[in-house]
Amino acid sequence: MSNFSLSSKSAQDIAIMTPRGYINDIGAERLESTSEQFLGDGLKKLVVNFSDVQYINTIGLSIFLSMVQKTMEYKSLLCFTNMKKDHREIFEMAGLIKHVKVFKDEKDAFAYLNGRN
Amino acid sequence: MLFSSLKDSDFFDRQQELTGLFKRVLQADVAQARSAVLSGQRGIGKTELLRQLFGRLFWEQDRVAPFLYTVNPALLSVIAFSRNFLFQFLCQRLAFPEKEQALLSRDGISIEGLFALAEERKAVWAKDLLGHFAQCACDPVAALRIALAAPHRSAMATGMPVAVLIDDFHRIKGLHDDGAPDPRLAFLFEDQMAHGKTPHIVTGNMAELQELPVVNKLERIPVLPLGPEGTSSMIRSLLNSYEAEGSVPPLLLRHLGGNPFYLECVVTRACAKNNPDDGAFWKAYIRELMDGPLALSWLSVLKIYFPDLVLRRTALEITHRIFHASEALSCRRIAETFALTVQEAHDIAQALYLAGLIRAEFGVLRAVEDRVLREIIDALYLRELLAKTAHESEEHFLSTVVPQKGRLIRFDMTLPMTREAELIAAQGLEQIGKNLDLDRDAVGQLQIAVIEACINAIEHSRGMGDSVYVSVSVDDDHMEVSVESAGKEYIVQETGEPVRDQENAKTTGRGWGIKLMKRFVDEVRFEKTIIGTKIILIKKIERSADIHKEDTANRE
Repeated sequence: MSNFSLSSKSAQDIAIMTPRGYINDIGAERLESTSEQFLGDGLKKLVVNFSDVQYINTIGLSIFLSMVQKTMEYKSLLCFTNMKKDHREIFEMAGLIKHVKVFKDEKDAFAYLNGRN
Repeated sequence: MLFSSLKDSDFFDRQQELTGLFKRVLQADVAQARSAVLSGQRGIGKTELLRQLFGRLFWEQDRVAPFLYTVNPALLSVIAFSRNFLFQFLCQRLAFPEKEQALLSRDGISIEGLFALAEERKAVWAKDLLGHFAQCACDPVAALRIALAAPHRSAMATGMPVAVLIDDFHRIKGLHDDGAPDPRLAFLFEDQMAHGKTPHIVTGNMAELQELPVVNKLERIPVLPLGPEGTSSMIRSLLNSYEAEGSVPPLLLRHLGGNPFYLECVVTRACAKNNPDDGAFWKAYIRELMDGPLALSWLSVLKIYFPDLVLRRTALEITHRIFHASEALSCRRIAETFALTVQEAHDIAQALYLAGLIRAEFGVLRAVEDRVLREIIDALYLRELLAKTAHESEEHFLSTVVPQKGRLIRFDMTLPMTREAELIAAQGLEQIGKNLDLDRDAVGQLQIAVIEACINAIEHSRGMGDSVYVSVSVDDDHMEVSVESAGKEYIVQETGEPVRDQENAKTTGRGWGIKLMKRFVDEVRFEKTIIGTKIILIKKIERSADIHKEDTANRE
């Protein structure tokens, strides 16, 4: 049994993904494919809520990189919320944080995204 | 012994010095080479450096003939020294063109034998030297002049310069013609050392060498303690040779100060136990202080400089006092303390200085900066002056030398090479943190690093082992996790970090693992072990209780 699960939903033009547990290759690939699905469906605003993420390893991190690239190709907005300090540091180390918007929680992310077309 | 018994690969951290010396003496072929003295503390590897230099000059080039000579304390009468010096030089010089190793060890060769050899090699210059030497049988000083000038004479006659390498050169001051040492005889080296075609590289006991005027004119080349990489390579090699694994505690390493002799004594002794842990290394060190080759080497120095038993006892007492004094002592103060005349105190201090046991260049007596020596003096003092038993001495050192830490708690885990096995280590760590009330943030960061270390271990031992061994140690202020696995060697010697295999290197983002480990812990080390490779992660920690206390204090 995997230590990862993912729930996702969309409200208006915003897609919200909430990963849980351990983001390794499997977890990151599921996140990637789910986000691609949303992008394919025409949603251009993605939110990843990290509140239930326990660990992220560098294999998962490398897949996040391609997820960020895909989002940029679709000219979409990618937001991260509820990040722990250590997780944020991991993304900073990989240079990914500059390509996403980071918010304290979903509410702040929504406020930002709702103000954008 | 002219050649080193060490393999090139086991001659650690000295390649730069060796190459520098090699190039320096080869200058004699194209220009003028200058003589020099190798300086450094006892056991630092000066003799080994000379032997390595001799080997390299003998085997790897044919432009400058090497001559390695060790001054023998049993051959210090002028006539015995001259004969020995000249005969050894001729054997080594005649052996050099054809690299005849057998000729290098012809110790007992007679003058007739050497004549015959020179005749056979058509070395007219050598026959001339022997002829002149034979004529000086009644004039030892003239014979000494001929012997010392032999390298230069051969260089002039053959056009091939000679590198004269002399070990234990300080003993030269004991040269004597009529039984009493005549320091003036050492001056006869001065002219020979000045010739550009016969550069001399000498070494020996530094304190005594510094007192020889002929040496003071030479350029000093320091032989420094091994650096961290050299030290670590040497330890690894010693452990490998005993098929043992382990790592010397960092504090003990600092104690040993990069001195190859000290390191060898301690690691060799610790290897009596298969896989020595920290405690075994400290015990080995303490045993070495008490009765090992390390202690015996310094005891023999004390015996040489203080052959009289009563005087040796006084010398030991004085040395102990100097090492434990909070300030430099004068001979007058020593005389008052030990009920000696000032002259007696001065003589003892002079001998202690020449033995390398204390510093006393300008009449003020201080301890040398050598922690090991200080502890050897303590061990001798306990045994010889306080009549402590071996057990009592060991107890003393265990309480004074070994760091007194709180409990060291250790957990070991064996992980199967299954998917997400790294989480077992990470979650185990979390539980350990909770049980020991450790700072959660620090443990969290260590967990991130441990996950990466485990993934690394699993990736690199794929198909070569079926387990990853994780060991967690916690003491008062550190948490250390080692992750060991089988597998091909994947450490880059220069950087001490794993090589990235090509497949992984192609994947974007791989290689972040080490960067991430370094970001989240205070120290990351990689060690080669018998089964494969070990990654060691060290994180400073605080007890949660301490943090709470601090928080409360801040709030107040």
